[in-house]
Amino acid sequence: MRSQIYAWNGQSGTAASSWTNTNTGTAVSIFIGGFGNNITKPAETTATQFVVIEDVAVSPTAFLNSGDAVSTAYRGLVNGAENGVFGNRAYIQVRINTTDYFLDPDNVGNDGIPGAASPYPRSTNFQPCFNLYPDVYVLPGQVFDALVTTYQNGAFDGAGTAPALESSTLYAFMKYTLYDGPDALIANKLLEMGISINPGNVDWYKRTLIQSQTAAPMPTA
Amino acid sequence: MRSQVYEWSNLATATATSTLRRTTDAVPQLVPVNREYDIFIGGIGNNITKPAETTATQFVVIEDIACSAYMGGAVQVRINTTDYFQNPDVTDQSGVPGLASPYPRGSSDVGGALIAVAQVDTVQLLKSFDLYPDIYVLPGQVFQILYSCATALAGAAASNTVVVSAFVKYTLYDGPDALIANKLLELGVTINPNNVDWYKRTLIEQQQRSRVAAVATNGGSA
Repeated sequence: MRSQIYAWNGQSGTAASSWTNTNTGTAVSIFIGGFGNNITKPAETTATQFVVIEDVAVSPTAFLNSGDAVSTAYRGLVNGAENGVFGNRAYIQVRINTTDYFLDPDNVGNDGIPGAASPYPRSTNFQPCFNLYPDVYVLPGQVFDALVTTYQNGAFDGAGTAPALESSTLYAFMKYTLYDGPDALIANKLLEMGISINPGNVDWYKRTLIQSQTAAPMPTA
Repeated sequence: MRSQVYEWSNLATATATSTLRRTTDAVPQLVPVNREYDIFIGGIGNNITKPAETTATQFVVIEDIACSAYMGGAVQVRINTTDYFQNPDVTDQSGVPGLASPYPRGSSDVGGALIAVAQVDTVQLLKSFDLYPDIYVLPGQVFQILYSCATALAGAAASNTVVVSAFVKYTLYDGPDALIANKLLELGVTINPNNVDWYKRTLIEQQQRSRVAAVATNGGSA
């Protein structure tokens, strides 16, 4: 089992593949969405892999006053429009196969976790009030994705390609643990048993197996 | 069971006080002072299609509520028609102040002036309130998160309006998990993902024991 992260910067790469104002209101995959740094194929687990997503985060947002003129900076965030919103007003949704994880109370899929609740990067100015618990399980053979949506028009004016912390640069972050081989089998077993899948419980199951083997009577000659 | 969040802000289009879901051309809307507005269907900002309620096969545990720390903002939880937070003399109150549970965490308590220009905020607020024990919404109940502010959001100019927001974090238990949540409630055990998993394990162990006992009773044959 291995702790893994995936960090996405919507402004990295060429100008053509950088996130711009025209992308606001559209949900885009951080893995294969065509903007920022991407990977070669959709994120999925093989038959011998099990993924546990433990945290997702996206660029923060600050809410102030619509009287502030456009391009005013506040704690490193810029208001792209004169509406009192500083930053990208970004959200991140987790999708397993075709199902969105986060729903509104009317059972309709929503935009996901707001960057104001789970900011990336974190700072004293922008702290989290969301903790992804229980974790999200990606079973063997499933496709998983993280979709970013922004709603602030003008947030990316002059954002440029040079990333800076606490700027209107659009970041996203996913922390997950990859269980493969025998660890994935144990993860499946734990799931059947109704036990949370985490490295501690996988190790506990291994110890239990070893102890039961050790305690078995020796065969007679 | 799934961890869920809902974020509300008084942002809608220039031609409507509320919108379903969010829009890219949002501007802040006025929230009348000292009145409680449901963040789900209150008619201001981003709303959803119907009141937040649990079906017969759902169980909701509200784990955190927060709102903007400025303008005297506060959030109250209402289950069916009963307000959760009340004064010691059992009278109504506005709920948890944003100063105690700020959203976003680390935001300032200054909201009235043009603080981005004036650079007058030097505070990064931390929470001093923790919603523990959690609030349970039983199957078939309606729940509301009510936001209120004590200070007018409009400034000197018509366009000079403060953006306020509120946040709720809850866990949705559905299907068999909701049944287990109800069972835990009967047993007086706290409902959280760990305890739901514990109850599942107990059921599985019971089944295994009864299977072994049945085999023993039948003289070793299943």
